[in-house]
Amino acid sequence: MSRWGRRRYYDDDWGYYRHFAPSRPREAKGGIKAQTKRGGFGQSWWAIRWIAVLESFDIGARLGRGRSYARSGQVTHLEVGEGTVTARVQGSRPKPYDVVIKVATLSAANWKKLAESLGKEALFAAKLLAGEMPENIEDAFKTAGLSLFPGKSKDLVTDCSCPDWSNPCKHIAAVYYLLGEEFDRDPFLIFKLRGMTREKLVALLGAKPPAPPKPGAASEPAPPAEPLPAEPGTFWGAGDAGEMTLGEVRIPPAAAALPRRLGNFPFWRGAEGFLDAMEGIYAAASPAGLAVLLGERKNEEAGA
Amino acid sequence: MVVLHLAWFDGNLVLWGESPREAAAAQAPAHRGRKQVEKTAVASYPFGADPEVLDAALRDAGVVVEAKRAARRGAMAWLPTQGSVPIASSPLVAEAPQAQGEIALVPWRIEAMALMPAQAVDLLCRCAEKPTLAPGVLVGRDVAFWAQALRFAAALVARQQYLPAIEARDGGHRACWEPVFAGADAERLAALAKAMPAVARALGAADATTAPATPPAEVIREFLGAMVDHLVRSAASGRATAWEPVGGTSASRVPSERWAETPRPRRGRPRKKPAFDSVHDQWLHALRSPDGLMEGDEAELAQLAEQVREWRRPLSVSVAAPFRLCFRLEEPESGLEAEAGRTRKRSDAWHVRFLLQAVDDPSLLVPAEDAWAARGSAVSVLRRAGYSAQEHLLSSLGQASGICPRIEAALKTQRPSGYELDATGAHEFLTQRSLLLEQAGFGVLLPAWWTRTGTKLRLALRASVKSPKMQGGSGLSLDEVVHVNWEVALGDERLSPEELDALARLKTPLVRVRGQWVQVNAAEIQAALDFWRKKGTETLTARQVVQMAMGATDAVSGIPLAGIEADGWMGDVLRQLDGRAEIGEVPVPQGFVGTLRPYQARGYAWLAFLRQWGLGACLADDMGLGKTIQALALFLRDWEASGAGILPAGRRDACPTDRRRPVLLICPTSVVSNWRKEAERFAPSLPVMVHHGIERKRGEEFVAEARRHALVVSSYSLLNRDIEHLKKVPWLGIVLDEAQNIKNPETKQARAARSLAADYRMALTGTPVENNVGDLWSLMEFLNPGFLGSQADFKREFFIPIQTNRDPEAAGRLRRLTGPFILRRLKTDKSIIADLPEKQEMKVFCTLTREQASLYAAVVKDAEGALDGAEGIQRKGVVLATLSKLKQVCNHPAQFLGDNSAIPGRSGKLARLAEMLEEAIEVGDRALVFTQFAEMGAILKRHLEETFGREALFLHGAVPKAQRDRMVERFQADGGPPVFILSLKAGGTGLNLTRANHVFHFDRWWNPAVENQATDRAFRIGQTRNVQVHKFLCAGTLEEKIDEMIERKKEVAAEVVGTGEGWLTELSNQQLKELFALRAEAIGE
Repeated sequence: MSRWGRRRYYDDDWGYYRHFAPSRPREAKGGIKAQTKRGGFGQSWWAIRWIAVLESFDIGARLGRGRSYARSGQVTHLEVGEGTVTARVQGSRPKPYDVVIKVATLSAANWKKLAESLGKEALFAAKLLAGEMPENIEDAFKTAGLSLFPGKSKDLVTDCSCPDWSNPCKHIAAVYYLLGEEFDRDPFLIFKLRGMTREKLVALLGAKPPAPPKPGAASEPAPPAEPLPAEPGTFWGAGDAGEMTLGEVRIPPAAAALPRRLGNFPFWRGAEGFLDAMEGIYAAASPAGLAVLLGERKNEEAGA
Repeated sequence: MVVLHLAWFDGNLVLWGESPREAAAAQAPAHRGRKQVEKTAVASYPFGADPEVLDAALRDAGVVVEAKRAARRGAMAWLPTQGSVPIASSPLVAEAPQAQGEIALVPWRIEAMALMPAQAVDLLCRCAEKPTLAPGVLVGRDVAFWAQALRFAAALVARQQYLPAIEARDGGHRACWEPVFAGADAERLAALAKAMPAVARALGAADATTAPATPPAEVIREFLGAMVDHLVRSAASGRATAWEPVGGTSASRVPSERWAETPRPRRGRPRKKPAFDSVHDQWLHALRSPDGLMEGDEAELAQLAEQVREWRRPLSVSVAAPFRLCFRLEEPESGLEAEAGRTRKRSDAWHVRFLLQAVDDPSLLVPAEDAWAARGSAVSVLRRAGYSAQEHLLSSLGQASGICPRIEAALKTQRPSGYELDATGAHEFLTQRSLLLEQAGFGVLLPAWWTRTGTKLRLALRASVKSPKMQGGSGLSLDEVVHVNWEVALGDERLSPEELDALARLKTPLVRVRGQWVQVNAAEIQAALDFWRKKGTETLTARQVVQMAMGATDAVSGIPLAGIEADGWMGDVLRQLDGRAEIGEVPVPQGFVGTLRPYQARGYAWLAFLRQWGLGACLADDMGLGKTIQALALFLRDWEASGAGILPAGRRDACPTDRRRPVLLICPTSVVSNWRKEAERFAPSLPVMVHHGIERKRGEEFVAEARRHALVVSSYSLLNRDIEHLKKVPWLGIVLDEAQNIKNPETKQARAARSLAADYRMALTGTPVENNVGDLWSLMEFLNPGFLGSQADFKREFFIPIQTNRDPEAAGRLRRLTGPFILRRLKTDKSIIADLPEKQEMKVFCTLTREQASLYAAVVKDAEGALDGAEGIQRKGVVLATLSKLKQVCNHPAQFLGDNSAIPGRSGKLARLAEMLEEAIEVGDRALVFTQFAEMGAILKRHLEETFGREALFLHGAVPKAQRDRMVERFQADGGPPVFILSLKAGGTGLNLTRANHVFHFDRWWNPAVENQATDRAFRIGQTRNVQVHKFLCAGTLEEKIDEMIERKKEVAAEVVGTGEGWLTELSNQQLKELFALRAEAIGE
């Protein structure tokens, strides 16, 4: 298995040297930067649990370096599939290392058992669908004789193409941390790692999923054409356009509520924090919108 | 003249216009020629406006037009056509064809111009709620529609209802901002789509063979998307200049180029591609760049687009859902009864029920039980394409559970349908949770007693005010200090501190008192008790009390203010102010000539009442009800009281002459003469000084002269120009006539008006001021400074809620606040009609412009030369010709010169007519305008149409009978043109025009019989309203002098002048010279 292929460190002097005097990684442009600048990665209990698995390994300074890798954007690619995570991490060599994390998936029968257990309280499905991990979901797993997090060591296999002999290495740690942060945003990620997509889980919980939207195309079918009326009165708009209320218009006290509700952009790689940028834009646009609404707009834009 | 139209086509708002055929034919003969040659080609629209006309219209409106002509080109408009004749949007452009036959949509070639988003915003902001953009530039209904739609887009931006996105476009990608239509916004979107006039989507591609048929819903979505994108983008790029990497170019604007069919990539130097570290950086950059274009690895961009969609999914699922989760609070059948402090617990808990509410029909509610069980009618109701009711219900409940812990607790069962709560919980739900849930987009249904505004019973403060004793009758003012006793009440019941304590001990926030739920909040009770202990009584000025009573403050120390009671004179003042008590009659000044009608006497008393308390009053009676007379009565009263004029015996000594101070009256130039004339007639003892013209006095001389008069009349333009001189006079009052002139508080006039000190201020206006919320602040700030708070406060508390949401609570509060200071009576009010004669005749004295005056002088000079030595028929001819010329000069220089020159700003009469008609049209009146000159009729028609953007009918001798009948029919019909111009000869007899309730005689026939006959067109059987007859005269000219002569010998007038104007030729040369001579007062500026 290539899984241990990285132990090629014997035919690589650098690896031995680096063990004693770790070098700086190459600068990676446009990598995924962790959004949490200090403190732990991930605030939710399940993210903390996930990180705890990593930190239970005694890998010394690698944890710290993994954290700074995650913060400085050394991870340039990260993809979560059912049961697998693949990532590319920029180390000191020109070619980035490939990291693979494999998580054992649950069998269909096990999922069914779990669904029965979850189905007893609407709260589980409700919270999950609203993007939150229910507090006592582990109890539901336990009732079904299962565990949300990979319990046995063979359930979690990590691999990196770097020359470090340790597993997990700092590259794996960096990916781990970023995943932890992403778990905060999307509780379904952990289910996905265990082999269950959102759609399948929802269906399993008894809620009939809607027809999946066609990718690319607008989700709604094209509305039927409406021919123009030829009657002059209707054509030119004889009827009163009708007054319309615009609802209570005030500038929201907290900017960018909608992006905030959706949470940080997954695996954001921009130099500027995503929500920070959104907040700036939304805060600037509100007064501009209000001015136009009140007809106070002068031709500032057109004159520019 | 041009009627502007805007249509959405190919991703742009496209401007085009219609002009009457004369103009179109004169300017674009080439099109018609081509039409003859190429029979198969699409004909050019005969009423299409030229691009130059559109450019000029935009420039006049202050919209920047790019020199680049790429944005302009021919387009195809599919317009209703009968046979081969297109049907224009308005009779102002062309009369509808009389032909029979089927009406079909036919493509016509038009000159059009794609607007950039910034131009579109600019133009639409200017067009909002206006019939014309500038004289002669009319706003089509479609333009008004787009202006309304833009306001919606702006509201979405202000409320931050949009998200960043990335769209595939022309084979590339573009970062953009997309509006999110959730809840009520989805309804608004649907309403807009429904209201869209067809012309708004009637442009088609050049090679199209069928009429465009894009559904309105899609068109409006595209438009709103483009506007939201533009507004956010321009605000964002304004911020991000420092951040923007080099290479971002603003020269490449998509719309115009697309319009010009220039395929990308662009011409000219290649776009310097900024280097980005990641596609996320690029996206963020593009979201703030002028065009949003993203170039690069298409696969990577497509992947980003997919990620963005994925990121937005939780919201798009709930926004796209045809239902929304709704919470209904249900009260127990019987709850807690509080009787004299005792409580008895009855069964019952309150309930919150979970329901699914249809977005398109909020009355359609499906209980959660039914949705879980998928039973009953719920099955068919909830079955909608792509919608899973259960998943949606679950995810919504999940979201709501984060807002309200009780909801989370309720989800511990398999199929939750709601939960129970006690009174405390219900109160918390009513006051807090429901607001949060609503804000998060959930539906909330609360008991009617809670949501009905105004009837909510709650703990409130009441003040009772003791008036200090009057001292010697006079000297009372609102600066007086009064004592206020505070009390706490629940509804109508006063509570003692002990009762309050008892209520607090109940520890339940909702108590049913006599069958009605009352909200009692422990913290509020505590606050009330504290407040009471601290300031059971306090002293305030009477002015503060008045403000409080009028509703300027709705809470004191956080406790709602329920009302103020006062005894003595304070009580009288308060009751009189808010209309609970009659204002006592005030005797008419002795020197007043004539009688005040009953409603005028009331208005005069009201003015005197507010003036006495130093409160500003706005008299906003309908035109013709005599605002001038009521104001004059007040001026005269003050003048007499100050010891001038005729005074009752014994008062003379009490009022030393130095107490005499003048009133400054500011009015439009066009009515300066009218004020002087009206004062002469009704208050001849009132010394009036007109401060106007080049010869006006200045400095000390002005001050001295002003102090010798009771009334100084001046104009708005001088108010600003002469403000330094005006400030030197210790004015008794400042009065603004046609006060809508200061509706914009930022103008120099408004500032100047506010800067003048006086004992009282008054405003007169005939426009319905109370309807223009935006204009109220400026008016009130002049009348009663500070009463409506700062302009920013006003905007936040009143203007925005009323303007955007028609908030009835804010509107009601504003009405209560301003009501006491605005008196508006309509001539249709029952109580007024009884006081009015069926036919009211008024003379309107106008002023000549300087141009008119010099033309007038020239004509007189010529005439004097011609008269010398002329005899018999020749002399008669000279006299009549001179009369005619002078009348023409008084009408309009363009009529006299006959040179088809510009119309606006050259005639005092015309200016006054336009002002009066504007007032009349605004309140839905209709008017006849008579002139004896067909040329003048044409000038009037053109000017009035261009000013009001409405058709004006014009009947003259050359109009065939069939068309004449049609005009009469249209004028008499509902929604017909509001103005009918008639030449006296053509329209003097035989017509029945009872729809009119105003008759204007623009020039005079000097024959009362002829004029009366004309007036009777409106005043006939079938007339249900009172008719006002306005006879226009230029003051100081022969018009006024002849009028005086007729008035003097009214009895014999019929004999003398019966045959027309011939009698004037009998006058001697000297008499004629005097008749023609121009008095100095005639000239305006």
